[in-house]
This record gives sequence, C-alpha cells and structure tokens, in this order.
Amino acid sequence: MERGQQGTRGGWLWLLQALSGLLLVLLLALHIVANHFIVEGGLRTYQDVVAYLSNPLVFVLEVLFLLTVTLHAGLGVRSVLLDLGLSPTAERRVNLVLTLLGIVAVAYGVWLSLMIQGRA
Amino acid sequence: MAEQTVQFKVFRYKQGERPSYQTYTVRVDPRTTVLRALEQIRQEQDGTLAFRHSCFHASCGTCGMKVNGQEVLACVTNVLELGTPVVVVEPLDNAPLITDLVVDMGDFYARYQPAGMPMIRESEFLPDSQVPEGVEHHMRLENCIECGLCLSACPVAGSDPLYLGPAALAAAWRMVEEPRGRDPATVLAWVDHEHGCWRCHAAFECSEVCPSNVDPAGAIMALRRELTRRKIGQLFGRR
Amino acid sequence: MVQERQTYGLIRRKGAWSWLDVRGRRLGAWAFALNRLTGLGLVLYLVIHLLVLSLLTQGESRWNDFIALAKSPAFLFLDVVLFFGLLFHGLNGIRVALVGMGLGVERHKTLFWVLMTIGAVLLLLSAWKVFSSPAT
Repeated sequence: MERGQQGTRGGWLWLLQALSGLLLVLLLALHIVANHFIVEGGLRTYQDVVAYLSNPLVFVLEVLFLLTVTLHAGLGVRSVLLDLGLSPTAERRVNLVLTLLGIVAVAYGVWLSLMIQGRA
Repeated sequence: MAEQTVQFKVFRYKQGERPSYQTYTVRVDPRTTVLRALEQIRQEQDGTLAFRHSCFHASCGTCGMKVNGQEVLACVTNVLELGTPVVVVEPLDNAPLITDLVVDMGDFYARYQPAGMPMIRESEFLPDSQVPEGVEHHMRLENCIECGLCLSACPVAGSDPLYLGPAALAAAWRMVEEPRGRDPATVLAWVDHEHGCWRCHAAFECSEVCPSNVDPAGAIMALRRELTRRKIGQLFGRR
Repeated sequence: MVQERQTYGLIRRKGAWSWLDVRGRRLGAWAFALNRLTGLGLVLYLVIHLLVLSLLTQGESRWNDFIALAKSPAFLFLDVVLFFGLLFHGLNGIRVALVGMGLGVERHKTLFWVLMTIGAVLLLLSAWKVFSSPAT
C-alpha cells in the first residue's frame, strides 16, 4: 500500500490546529479588548502594564493566550512546510526546530511577564 | 454557419526539447469544441500535435486539459463561448508530461487501487433496474470519469507530490460510505495521515472543476468527519 | 500488477505559487490564498510583537517612547491592516475548522459570506476605535 501506515498523527494535529484556532478567537478578542480597547489612548503606559500583569487572573489568561497562539502559529508554519511535500527526514527536522522555537517563545513570554510583574 | 477565426496558443513539448507555445489559426463555427479545433489543427496544419481523446461526450475523461487556465474536458468546451480571441491550451498540471497535451495518468489511476476500487454502476439507476432503497442519496463514485481535472486544479497537489489528491480520497470515501461487506478500516488508515485527507485546505477547487459532480472536497470532509468521530471515540475508550 | 514505468523529465507543478495563484479560481481558492498570506503575516507579527514587548524590561522611558511612536498615523494604519489580517484569518478559520470536521460542507460559501459580513463590520468598528483614540 502506497506510503503505508504512517500513523495517525496528522489527524490529531489538524484537530489541535482547528481547536486552538477556535480557542484563539475568544482569547484574542479578550486580549485586544483588555489591552487596547478599554484602555485610555489604546496602549497602556509602563505603570499600567505593571499593574495589569500583577493581577493573577490576567497573568494566567495572558500565559494561556501565549501558549495557544504559539501552538497555533507553530502548527500553521509546519502545515505550510508540509505542503511542500517534505521527505520524512526534512519533516522530522521541521518538527524539531518548530518545537524548540515554540518552547523558546513561551519561555521568553513567561519570563517577560514574571519580570514585569516583579516590578510592581 | 457564422464562421470565425480564432487563434489557438497551444503548449508544445517533445521529450528532450524545451517546452514552448505554438499559435495556430483555426476557423470555427458556433458548434466547434476545443477538441474539434485541436483535431482540425492536427489534420490540416500540424500532424505532430499530440493530444488524447476518445468518446467526444464527456464520459471517458480522456481529454482533460487546461483551456485559458481552466481545467476542462476539451470535448464539451465550446470555443466561441470562451469569448477570447486567443484560446490558450495547456496540459493538466501536477502530472508528468509525456508530450504536448498528454500527461502520464499512471500514478493518478494507481491511487484508486488502495481506495478499494469502489464501483456501483450507472445501470443500477436505469428505470428497469432493481435499485436498493435509499441508494439515490449517495453521490456515486462511478460518476468519476478519472479525468484528473481535480488533481490539476488542487492548490495542495500543486506543491505536494505526496498528497493523495481529491479523486483518490473521493474514491476512498465512497468505499467507507458503503463498504458492501468489506472492512473500511484499511482504507481509513490509508487516508488518515499527513499527506492523506488531512493535507486538504478546503479550497474546493476540485469540486468546482469536476465535470461529473463527484464533489471530492465534500468526500474529503466526510472522511475527516468519520475519522474525527472515531478518534473522539478512541479517546473515550470506544473503538 | 508491476509495470515498467518510464520517467519523464517534466512535470508542470507550480510549487508554493499554486497556493497564491488565484487566476481563474473561485471562492475557496481565494479564501485559502488569503488565509495563507494572513497566517504567515500574523506569524511575522507575533515575532515582532514579542520582541517589542522586551522594551518593557528596559525601563519606563523606553516603553513610553515606544507608545508615543505607536500613536503616529502610519502605525495606526498598520493596526488596521493587522485587524484585517486577524479578522480574516480568524473568521475564515472558523469556517475551515467547521467544514474540515465535516460540518456545513454544502453551505461553506454561505458561511464564508456571513462570516465576512461580520468581519467587515468589525473591521470598520475597530478602524474607528483605532483612529478615535485620544492622541496621548
């Protein structure tokens, strides 16, 4: 049988992409309203950002947003690359590099948030 | 008959040579199809022009090609209705070129095999035939004339040679939808991978160009629905 | 059945261009092309956004300087472009997710236009919001 049994990862990742996308619609709307639309002038001043992130609920929601958006972006880029018909070796490399980039992005975001929180 | 002169800009390729376009001037009448015009070119102007056809009435699927950038069956494409002074004729995309307008359909046909070669004949629907109850609700795969227009029009097949493609996935869904005593699990496993039904990005071009209303995009989504159902079932311990 | 297969030198395949080449294509292909473009644009934006936020670690004045810059008309115009990308990708994404799970497949075009109407209204509202924010 052509290509044989490649496992069923594709289906799970597609579902994850769809579900993270749907979740993002909510989280992103929240993120934009909370950070820009209800803020006087559309952008928080430095003091405002520090105060905002010191709210534990805000912190949790923003980190959840970061996780979801990173996952969705990573899966999206992976999908674009797979559309090029990658060899299994190239696919493994793509998986590895994107996973590392995702971990770096999330770690950086959490570190940044904690750092700003600490200045309250 | 009101005859008119139309220019045909035809893709030419002979193995070992560089592809090019050659323009022919053809007199057409309101009934001339692209296929008839190509025949005219071959008979009257250039015997080296190669293209493929057989039935002349959209049931064999042999004369699939691109006319003015659109995947069509040349035999049912009226020249004057195209409304362009120059008609551009090219072979289908995403299949190996053999010569001129002829592509190698071998890989395309081969993918019907693992899909289970589902076949329910048109004759089942003739007035005097015994039709199983409710079967008319099914979009029947024998509608598929294996012309390859869908594969040529698909933006994913345009970049991913590993993608199984619309026709094969439509065939797979036909088998899963009505297994007729066979186990659909093998076919489902065949399509359930990254270059199977999950590679599709829902551009729906396959269904748009299909001359036979097979709706491959709908079939791909149906496969995914079935697979999603089974995956969710697995999550909760069911098979 | 094993057949000897000849290999041919040429195959007409557009590669990545086939995602974006919408000449003569219809609604679904346009939506896919735009979804891909906005998706890649948003990934780029995400990276820039995360990097810009690092200004916060460099103290109050650096951040407040950036805010002043971000309120220039050119920046506000880019905000509207961003909103277009977010709204298109998000709303079309809802359609792709639903249709991709086999829901509403026959009505995917209607679904598209309904979502795009919502998107157009939201884009106008957000543009108004962006440009009507006080300058300081």
